[in-house]
Amino acid sequence: MKICVCVKHVPDTAATIKLAGDTAFDDADVKFISNPYDEFGIEEAVSIVEKEGGEVVIVTIGKEAATSTIRSAMAMGAHRAIHVKTDGQFLDSTLTARALKAVMEEDGLPDLIFTGKGSVDTESFQTQYRLAKSLGLPIVNEVSTLTLEGQKAIAQREIGGGEKQVLELGLPCVIGATKGLNEPRYPKFPDIMKAKKKEIKEMALSELGINEADAKVTMEKMEAVPERSGAKMIEGSVDDQVTELVRILKEEEKVI
Amino acid sequence: MDFDLTKEQEMIRKEVRNFAQKEIAPIAGELDEKEEFSEKLTRKMGEIGLFGMFVSEDYEGQAMDYISYIIAVEEIARVDGSQAATIAAGNSLGIGPIFYFGTEEQKQKYLPKLCAGEGLWGFGLTEPTAGSDAGGSKTTAVLEGDEWVINGSKIFITNAACDLTMGVTVQAITGTRDNGKPEYSCILVEKGTPGFKAVPMHKKMMWRASNTAELYFDNVRVPKENILGKKGDGFHQMLQTLDGGRLSIGAMGLGGAQGGFDLALKYAKEREQFGQPISKFQAIAFKLADCAMEIECARNLLYKACWLKSNHRSFEKEAAMGKLYCSEVMSRVVDHAVQIHGGYGLMKEYNVERFYRDQKLLEIGEGTSEVQRIVISRFIGC
Ligand SMILES: Cc1cc2nc3c(=O)[nH]c(=O)nc-3n(C[C@H](O)[C@H](O)[C@H](O)COP(=O)(O)OP(=O)(O)OC[C@H]3O[C@@H](n4cnc5c(N)ncnc54)[C@H](O)[C@@H]3O)c2cc1C
Repeated sequence: MKICVCVKHVPDTAATIKLAGDTAFDDADVKFISNPYDEFGIEEAVSIVEKEGGEVVIVTIGKEAATSTIRSAMAMGAHRAIHVKTDGQFLDSTLTARALKAVMEEDGLPDLIFTGKGSVDTESFQTQYRLAKSLGLPIVNEVSTLTLEGQKAIAQREIGGGEKQVLELGLPCVIGATKGLNEPRYPKFPDIMKAKKKEIKEMALSELGINEADAKVTMEKMEAVPERSGAKMIEGSVDDQVTELVRILKEEEKVI
Repeated sequence: MDFDLTKEQEMIRKEVRNFAQKEIAPIAGELDEKEEFSEKLTRKMGEIGLFGMFVSEDYEGQAMDYISYIIAVEEIARVDGSQAATIAAGNSLGIGPIFYFGTEEQKQKYLPKLCAGEGLWGFGLTEPTAGSDAGGSKTTAVLEGDEWVINGSKIFITNAACDLTMGVTVQAITGTRDNGKPEYSCILVEKGTPGFKAVPMHKKMMWRASNTAELYFDNVRVPKENILGKKGDGFHQMLQTLDGGRLSIGAMGLGGAQGGFDLALKYAKEREQFGQPISKFQAIAFKLADCAMEIECARNLLYKACWLKSNHRSFEKEAAMGKLYCSEVMSRVVDHAVQIHGGYGLMKEYNVERFYRDQKLLEIGEGTSEVQRIVISRFIGC
């Protein structure tokens, strides 16, 4: 079984982000990690292949430094990787999905594709759907339990209120992994050393026929989220409170 | 000159930090409070490869370079001194002597389990009446037929009395040298050998989640083959073991200083008094600046000592300097760190008080600061 796992190199959510210019941030001192949801995908793929044989291929679209994230995935047990290099910090989900598709077509279509349920940096939650659609494959996102039976995948996802939905998909398919699917392993040190020797094939976006100018979404401006100002308590009788609230909304906040 | 770590060394740091933050940080305070050595956590540390880091694959070690080992200890100590102690003593004192001086048979017998973290081994040198003066120890081993008969006692021996303990290396007098001084040898004693008793020591101020033991040998008989290396090599083996061990104690000082500094910097930026974060007061900012500078110096010195060792150059002087400097840097850093936390720094809820306590051992264990100064002063020709 050949499994592709799409892994994104993202800034740690605990990192302090300093803006640099209009559309970027200074990443010199920012710790980057593997997108946490993708790690559930890596773990699932590796444990499936450990049982059933086959190979796990990591596909990453990202800048040069993403190699460290790819090596971590390899230390967890992935066999090889394809790294499509970008220059900038932002690539929209349309182009990302196109690049992933092109890579998989060139490398040979896998039997199963994992992504995370979303990435913790841009949080667009679109790439996996666009990828599945363009490959004509079924997709389930936010999968917290997965079993494979022959050519079928049975995926469970939480749909809120403690309810679960169970879906059956034919392989190949795309699975968006989330918390609960498994406990990602810590790489063993000898595996870290071995990861160094595994193959990473490097490609440029242009080699896949992708032109950054075709992006549907471009970054106009990056801004820090404004700090929330304190709440204001309105006191008095219900009538007074409503009158005061309407006055504020009209005159101070000018929203109605 | 190249100050960059290799890609693998950087990955080791990243993975160990991740492990320490996820697996150790959430329970470190509780284990310390309950004075509990955690077998479960020790096994987990073994699973990722924290034991046998510098041991070759022939004995199921991780076959990594010495700097990677030191970085691993540093990153664990950044979160918790007790677990760092289990790792540092496990590698440098437990596994090290068997790997460096043991026979093929001894290595095959003990190292695979020790390297997997499924067993621990103690190194018994210190005695109730012989600490800094290791030459004053009294434990004896006499060869009777095909067996060594050991009598005496040891104190403060790390990893020697927990369920995972498989045995100890004990340094004993095995005769008299030509110059009339006692001759020492190291002998391996397995747990469960009749007459050998290991008793856990409690009520420690620091390293409360690390296992420390008193050992008693009452006519303990072990096979002649249990000697480590040659008869009479014991003193030399001990000195060599301690040279390497100093680097790992240095790593604990460095990591602990970094951990204390991290807490202090974070707190100083968050805590507001007189309408601004206290990190904006020069008195606080200068303390933090001094800490950052000293940690940088400590890291450079310690890594250089490791680099010398890795390149088979003489590193003994730098190892003593690294151990001494890193532990004293941690002392100054955690002192500032508690001060910066004010009253909260004295409360258990804030981890900084644990760092403050754990630090003190580093100026005492594996050669006190005074002993390190003696070693260094000899090297510089005093
Ligand atoms: C938690 C813990 C774990 C330990 N683990 C181990 C272990 O695994 N294996 C092991 O063998 N030991 C271990 N030790 C023992 C440790 O190495 C000794 O405590 C240390 O070497 C100091 O010996 P001492 O306590 O007998 O102090 P002493 O040697 O009695 O020293 C008392 C004071 O006198 C000073 N002093 C002594 N001689 C001189 C001198 N010539 N010049 C100037 N000052 C001097 C010392 O610096 C110190 O300040 C451990 C200790 C602790 C607390």
